[in-house]
Amino acid sequence: MTYVNVIPPSPELSIYGGMADETLFEFLHMEIVSHVYKEQQSSKGTMDNKDRAVCVSVLEGMGFRVGQGLIERLTRDSPSFKDELDIMKFICKDFWTKVFRRQVDNLRTNHQGTYVLQDNKFNLLTQLSNGKQYLDQAPKYLAFSCGVVRGALSNLGLESVVTAEVSVMPSCKFQVVIQKLP
Amino acid sequence: MTVHNLYIFDRNGNCLYYNEWNRKKQAGISKEEEFKLMYGMLFSIRSFVSKMSPLDMKEGFLSFQTSKYRLHYYETPSGLKFVLNTDLSVTNARDTLQHIYSNLYVELIVKNPVCASTQTLESELFSSCLDAFIRALPYYSPRAA
Repeated sequence: MTYVNVIPPSPELSIYGGMADETLFEFLHMEIVSHVYKEQQSSKGTMDNKDRAVCVSVLEGMGFRVGQGLIERLTRDSPSFKDELDIMKFICKDFWTKVFRRQVDNLRTNHQGTYVLQDNKFNLLTQLSNGKQYLDQAPKYLAFSCGVVRGALSNLGLESVVTAEVSVMPSCKFQVVIQKLP
Repeated sequence: MTVHNLYIFDRNGNCLYYNEWNRKKQAGISKEEEFKLMYGMLFSIRSFVSKMSPLDMKEGFLSFQTSKYRLHYYETPSGLKFVLNTDLSVTNARDTLQHIYSNLYVELIVKNPVCASTQTLESELFSSCLDAFIRALPYYSPRAA
């Protein structure tokens, strides 16, 4: 199974200031989501909650593999991390910048393995709406990104559960719960 | 100096978007009829202009003017048609229409996974950004000339 390879913009692709590959991913992501939902729906006419859950977990699984690969590439040259909080800070700053083109606006933690990352202009939601319109559609477009974060953490040695919630677009909160080994 | 209204048609003639800012007089027919009339006129005038042109044509139909208003037309390579009615002080709105297409339509509709580009555009984000853009134009003022 192949995964999306994020390459740095080469001079030929940078005619619009490096936008070409970002736009490519945006369109591809839209089509991936649409494809997964259509596939699930094709057998019956309507979708129930179980179908929706299947779609979300397929998208999340894809993101997981992408995140694993991405983090290998992005931490090639960095020193190893001191502790869990250091890893989370790396995710919020460098990782988020490389993948989502901005930094996380707010990181909160209970110092017991739960972290909430708030991004006020999450770049996969900015084209959707500026408030409440299409709110019910938002989770579809966040599943892949949750997987990316989970995959990144997994290859840094942290197993986690990542979920996202949106109340007013384009701001959204990712909740990361680190799974402690028993 | 003002902008009266804006129509966006897809390549099949469906009106995807319409908004007005300063329209003092309505056409006296239903909105559907008005859109059909507008599209039909554009179709006919474009073919007329290309047939009757004494020289080789580049862009084709760009605008027409009456004693009170000017209609500006912009067609994208993908067949999307933008029509803007302004007052006579605006001579060239091509850049404006091009900006609406590339910075608003492409960014907010084409890249919006929920908006199908063949149905009426319902994205509030698009509506509000377009409205803000029109109102910020140097030749826009709330009261018609």
